[in-house]
Amino acid sequence: MKQKVIVIGAGIIGTSVAYYLSQKDVNVVLIDANDIAAGTSGACDKAIMLQSKKSGPNLQFAMKSAEMYKDLEEELEQDLEYENGGGMILINNEVELNVLRERVENQREAGLNVTIICGDEARKINPQLSPKIIAATWCEQDAEINPLKTSFAFAKAASNRSMTMHLNCRVLNLIEDNGRVIGVKTTNGDIYADNVVLCCGVWVNNLLKSLQLEVPIIPRKGVILVTEKIPKLLNCNILGGSYIVSKLQEASVEKNPFGIGLSMGQTKSGNLLIGGSREFASFDTSISSFVLTAVANKATEAFPCLKNTNLIRSFVGFRPFTPDNLPILGEVPTVRGLYIAAGHEGDGVALAPITGHIIAEVVTGQTVDMDLTPFHMNRFLQSFTY
Amino acid sequence: MDNTLICRCEGVCLGAILKAIDECSTSVQGIKKRTRVGMGYCQGRTCQPILRDILRELIGQSELAQTQKSQAPVRPIPLGKL
Repeated sequence: MKQKVIVIGAGIIGTSVAYYLSQKDVNVVLIDANDIAAGTSGACDKAIMLQSKKSGPNLQFAMKSAEMYKDLEEELEQDLEYENGGGMILINNEVELNVLRERVENQREAGLNVTIICGDEARKINPQLSPKIIAATWCEQDAEINPLKTSFAFAKAASNRSMTMHLNCRVLNLIEDNGRVIGVKTTNGDIYADNVVLCCGVWVNNLLKSLQLEVPIIPRKGVILVTEKIPKLLNCNILGGSYIVSKLQEASVEKNPFGIGLSMGQTKSGNLLIGGSREFASFDTSISSFVLTAVANKATEAFPCLKNTNLIRSFVGFRPFTPDNLPILGEVPTVRGLYIAAGHEGDGVALAPITGHIIAEVVTGQTVDMDLTPFHMNRFLQSFTY
Repeated sequence: MDNTLICRCEGVCLGAILKAIDECSTSVQGIKKRTRVGMGYCQGRTCQPILRDILRELIGQSELAQTQKSQAPVRPIPLGKL
């Protein structure tokens, strides 16, 4: 009998895992309580940004993932709005320059093609950039993709390879027998399988709870602003230097309680997506006027021409944060047949293809030519009591 | 009939919406994410109630056929005025 695998969660991670599994000789069942890309993957930006990752396992994975993205449109036979336009981090002052210079050096050693360019060179790439920007980092490997289209395309391609999909179907609990997961109890009845992969990001503990397990994944709230459509303004991904500096200096929480920083991208339809905030506020979906104003100010400081551009919407996403900023990938050590692929925080879009590929290999018992130790759930076992 | 314009801002016609429903979309948010209906300048002020009615007519799940969550701003506002 064919191996049967249930994937729970139809965001960009779950649909990717389901797609790569569907390429194996496996029966795949994808289940979501709501819809494809209805949670975190439908409330995020579109960056496949490499230089936002510090050198280490996440950057290595992201670089492999970025390579996979290059062929994905052809492979899935869908338009994913992929653009390999590069990305820059804007530098406003000497403090940011010094922090980023060191970071760029480390990233270069890790094999990333990133440099520091002067303000005028940055303005050649993005002519509307403020004259106050003194320098920028530049990485031509950075890219962009539409995460909604990517999630739908993964699901569609997997369905074409005989994957079964249950949307609006809530998993109530995991069914365990003798130290092994054997299926799931859902609002549409029980479904049995050889393996279960949890790809439900910030909601993963709702299911682990039924096995008296818990992982340290908590929601980090991020607000994104959407503007009206405007003619092409951005020719690449944009991050503010202060965002990276605040990301590195977590101790600055008191000074910046909402984690305000700048990230910008322009969608194919012309809207700007402007982030954002990084805040621990459980599942609170409210958006304060303080955050809207602070993010809008960051955007108009970087691009003064945006003062007259209309904001049309804002939204909130919950990014699955882990204490060491690495996702949890691989088998749950105490329950055979159960796997986790969750906790990517803001890197889910960038890491989706590599995550799907790796999990598909691991679940089907194949050897992976990458070191998965840094991502293993074991790392949280000592500090966690079950 | 398929060419009837439902969302003026994004130029989404009835045919595209019916296709999304055919492809298992059962909520206003789900159709929005598949077709861009309601994602434009007016944020679904006119098209979302129409969409909700289409969903109720076709699948009758009134609980799922809700319009999207209201979010700031209430109406478009220049970034420089915030």
